Amino acid sequence: MNWDPLIPVLTVASSLVPGLIIFGLAEERVRLRTALNLIGALIKLALVGWMLWGVYHEHHYETRLALLPDLELVLRVGPLSLLFVTLSGVLWMVTTIYAIGYLENSPHRSRFFGFFSLCVTATVGVALAGNLITFLLFYELLTLVTYPLVVHRGTEEARRAGRTYLIYTIFGGSLLLLGTVWLYSLTGTLEFTPQGFLSDLDAEHRPTLIIIFSLLIAGLGVKAALVPLHGWLPQVMVAPAPVSALLHAVAVVKVGAFGIVRVVYDVFGIDFAIELGVTAPLAWLAATTIIYGSMRALFQDELKRRLAYSTVSQISYIILGVAIAGPIATIGGLVHLVHQGLMKVTLFFCAGNLAETLGIHKVSEMKGVGRRMPWTMAAFTIGALGMIGVPPIAGFISKWYLGLGALQADQDWVIIILVGSSLLNAAYFLPILHAAWFQKPPHSWPEDRDFGHKETAWTLLLPPLLTAAMALVAGLLATLPFSPLEWAKLITEREFYCP
Amino acid sequence: MNIVLQDEFVSLDLLLFGLLWPLLLSFMLALKPIRSLTLQLAPWAALPALAASLLVAPSEMRWHLTGVMLGSELGLDATGKLFLLLTALLWTVTGIYARTYFSLPLQRTRFYIFFLLTMAGNFGLILAHDLLSFYLGFALMSFAAYGLVIFNGTPAALRAGRVYIILVVLGELMIFAALVLAAKTSQATTFTAVCANLFSTDNPDLVILLGLIGFGIKAGILGMHVWLPLAHPVAPAPASAVLSGTMIKAGLLGWLRLLPLGEVTLPGWGTSMLILGLMATFYAAGVGLTQREPKTLLAYSSISQMGIMTMAIGLGLLAPHAWPGILPVVTFYVLHHGLSKSALFLGVGLGGSHHLLQRRWIWLGMCLPALALAGAPWTSGMLAKMLLKTHILHAQTPWDTLLPPLLSASAVSTALLMARLLYLIRPAARLSGATPVAGLVWPWLVNLTAILLLPWWLMPTTSSQESMYIMDSLWPLLLACLVTIAVLHTKLLRAVQPLPAGDVLLLIERGYRRLCRMGNNWAGIQRILNELQQHFKTHQATLVTATITRLKQIENGFVRWEVASLLMIILAVVVGLIASQSFSL
Repeated sequence: MNWDPLIPVLTVASSLVPGLIIFGLAEERVRLRTALNLIGALIKLALVGWMLWGVYHEHHYETRLALLPDLELVLRVGPLSLLFVTLSGVLWMVTTIYAIGYLENSPHRSRFFGFFSLCVTATVGVALAGNLITFLLFYELLTLVTYPLVVHRGTEEARRAGRTYLIYTIFGGSLLLLGTVWLYSLTGTLEFTPQGFLSDLDAEHRPTLIIIFSLLIAGLGVKAALVPLHGWLPQVMVAPAPVSALLHAVAVVKVGAFGIVRVVYDVFGIDFAIELGVTAPLAWLAATTIIYGSMRALFQDELKRRLAYSTVSQISYIILGVAIAGPIATIGGLVHLVHQGLMKVTLFFCAGNLAETLGIHKVSEMKGVGRRMPWTMAAFTIGALGMIGVPPIAGFISKWYLGLGALQADQDWVIIILVGSSLLNAAYFLPILHAAWFQKPPHSWPEDRDFGHKETAWTLLLPPLLTAAMALVAGLLATLPFSPLEWAKLITEREFYCP
Repeated sequence: MNIVLQDEFVSLDLLLFGLLWPLLLSFMLALKPIRSLTLQLAPWAALPALAASLLVAPSEMRWHLTGVMLGSELGLDATGKLFLLLTALLWTVTGIYARTYFSLPLQRTRFYIFFLLTMAGNFGLILAHDLLSFYLGFALMSFAAYGLVIFNGTPAALRAGRVYIILVVLGELMIFAALVLAAKTSQATTFTAVCANLFSTDNPDLVILLGLIGFGIKAGILGMHVWLPLAHPVAPAPASAVLSGTMIKAGLLGWLRLLPLGEVTLPGWGTSMLILGLMATFYAAGVGLTQREPKTLLAYSSISQMGIMTMAIGLGLLAPHAWPGILPVVTFYVLHHGLSKSALFLGVGLGGSHHLLQRRWIWLGMCLPALALAGAPWTSGMLAKMLLKTHILHAQTPWDTLLPPLLSASAVSTALLMARLLYLIRPAARLSGATPVAGLVWPWLVNLTAILLLPWWLMPTTSSQESMYIMDSLWPLLLACLVTIAVLHTKLLRAVQPLPAGDVLLLIERGYRRLCRMGNNWAGIQRILNELQQHFKTHQATLVTATITRLKQIENGFVRWEVASLLMIILAVVVGLIASQSFSL
């Protein structure tokens, strides 16, 4: 029997099934819940490993289910989808461990972990989607299942943030839907194809296509937090730390950016997009977002809010890489999809550790925290330096490829954006590092929880150390086989710029 | 120099071990259970690299480390070997010195963590032969050194640290831009490929400019030197020693690697660097003479000496055919200056003794590096200057006639600077620094011995006669002595007020204030200026607050979902309208 069509389904199911079972579990069945979560995550990782090997050797996995007449639910495993699936699989595992420690003895854990698994299911679905309609389905599902996570705490602030989030994303989703339907009415197909499926259309449709492109980008841009559609993201940081971590690193924000990659490369096709003249405005939009996000991050005292604005800025690196429209910049953008995820998840884990262990929520409270929590702050330092683009951390490799790619595509202005953004990143991260490592700690911390001779619980400490190490290794050993960079090169060669 | 390793794998292993050992140790320091053991090992962390620098034969061979960054290339050429020898030696000496200098274990742990990281970066950039590895080493060294600069935690140290880190970040970004621009055409990231293809890039001048300033920040090029006199006096003595002894040379090495030296004539850049170097030499010596804090004076002396090396590179850009001869001279100069400067900084740190006899001995010891820097006969300084002068003849007119007297004049200024230093740290001066105990003195003595011996051993061969230069090197010294004696008999020394460290930075501020005061003296202009100033102030203030409020308002607007949804509805309607238009078309 041929197992290949089953594998994408199994990948989605490996988080869906545990999620659904967990909903039915009683609150106190901690062990069973943990076991389900971890088994699901391990199965997913095993499947990811299997697929990585297969796809590397030009094997393809595809599942088609009839959804409507003419429209199918397609799950397809290609290099690009696998990049994103791998990222979400790995980070799901790590974040689950973190969430178990973070939510210890807090109420509504079954609800939380249930939606958490669904959130990953939706993300994986988005990654594997083989056509725009499947993409849209999972994209909307993601919106719905993250809402309960955002409002998990149930405070007035959380509810308000949840409301903002829902309004923004639902409107974004409807724009996306409008664009998709319109596109379908023009072409009769929505299948993601290398080099796009629109270039054969008559020239008279061009203005329409430009509008559709804007609709799709605006819809996706809400999740990708493109300025001026980013307003929801800093509010949503009221969510618990593991949610923020997942939200900023893989789930919501990344899905928006991933969608933009799909639209530019597999719907329009990069050559056709350049011909339409839509890549240049997109590049400018991304550049504006990069600088604006960093400028806003400078003035935030609340740590998570500062990190949120930093995400606004960093996600647009990916979009910039895509919009520069050259093979090398594309590699830079794609690899940043992974690199930003690793670094940002580390930073949010650390922010959560500070809040949980010492009650620190503000940058101004972080004086001398390096002496109290050296390992957490070491991980934070790696993440922060990586964001600035200091070698050998992963962020530097992204920056290098973006810069080189921009020059190769004769868009020298991008260098100024990159340098400016690095400067701003340094301006808002280095003072934190200085305060944490070199200033005198206060006499007492806001809420000091005692962990004996350890700085914090190991379930809270291990995940950031792990992801920080990954961010370091992804940069230091960037050209080893199966590194994010090598995979991004493979994607670019096979899918986007194939001869 | 006869015992060298021929086996390339053993060589590579030794080099890698020398590079990774300090990194490993700094990580081990973070682990509490083995900390006391690691603290015993940390002072000797540079020994493997020192062994490598002595044993590995210099060659043009490169080791490719596939998988590391974008394919790393390590190698040890003749220049690198000398750099590594100096660097490893100084890190060893200061490492041992620091063991006694910091008495508290906690303090020592903190110091060594940053010390070892900086050391690893410094070794890494010397061995690197590709852009990214070099950049990695440079960044590691620069950022880790922040911990050394602000180690004392005083307000002055924090201020110095701020200036330092801002310049580091600016430098890093300029180097990044330069490297990306340079890598674009070469399609490769090795220095060899980049150098060869530099002139097929669209704007090689931009690459050179960015490289000059970016690396120049570290090398203390004139205008970018402000961090040096701020950082040196506040950093602990062993940190200052490596800062001035080896780390500022990393900027120089960056130039040596990146610039197309010996390949093309660049008259514009060559002349600029020559003039910039000369200006730095005299300017820094002048400012340094007014200083009363010995470490500030030494920092200015470093800027002055780096000026001479900048000048030599300018010479190389002017006369590429002479570069194969100039390069060994530059590296020799680096060795000479590094050894002497490190000994001076370590010696200044020993000024805490109460015994007059002890103070006299230390003062006598200090005379050796001071004389060497001043280029006294039979010292490394004489050799360095002599070698430099033989190559000046390659320069075009008017430089071939101008430079020899200028170099002699710089020798006089250096000699004066050293005389001033020796006066400041004279046995009768007030106490400063640590008590000279054995653990501090013997590494210092090793350093002094190295000044005496190493240069003679490693001197590049030359055909010229030394005897000619003994007189040549003697007269600037004698002249400086005469001037010093004359000055000591007047009250001039008391009248001289030290220029504030970080001169240009403060001069700009001061000049602005003076301008305002000058305006105040004239009644008419006073009013106008006052009004203007007032207007500017209020205007500026309102402008700033207005911008911030406006930004906040816009931001709040975005956050309010009502506005967001309204915006989107409007957007959808507009889009729909346009769409229906285009459909009907």
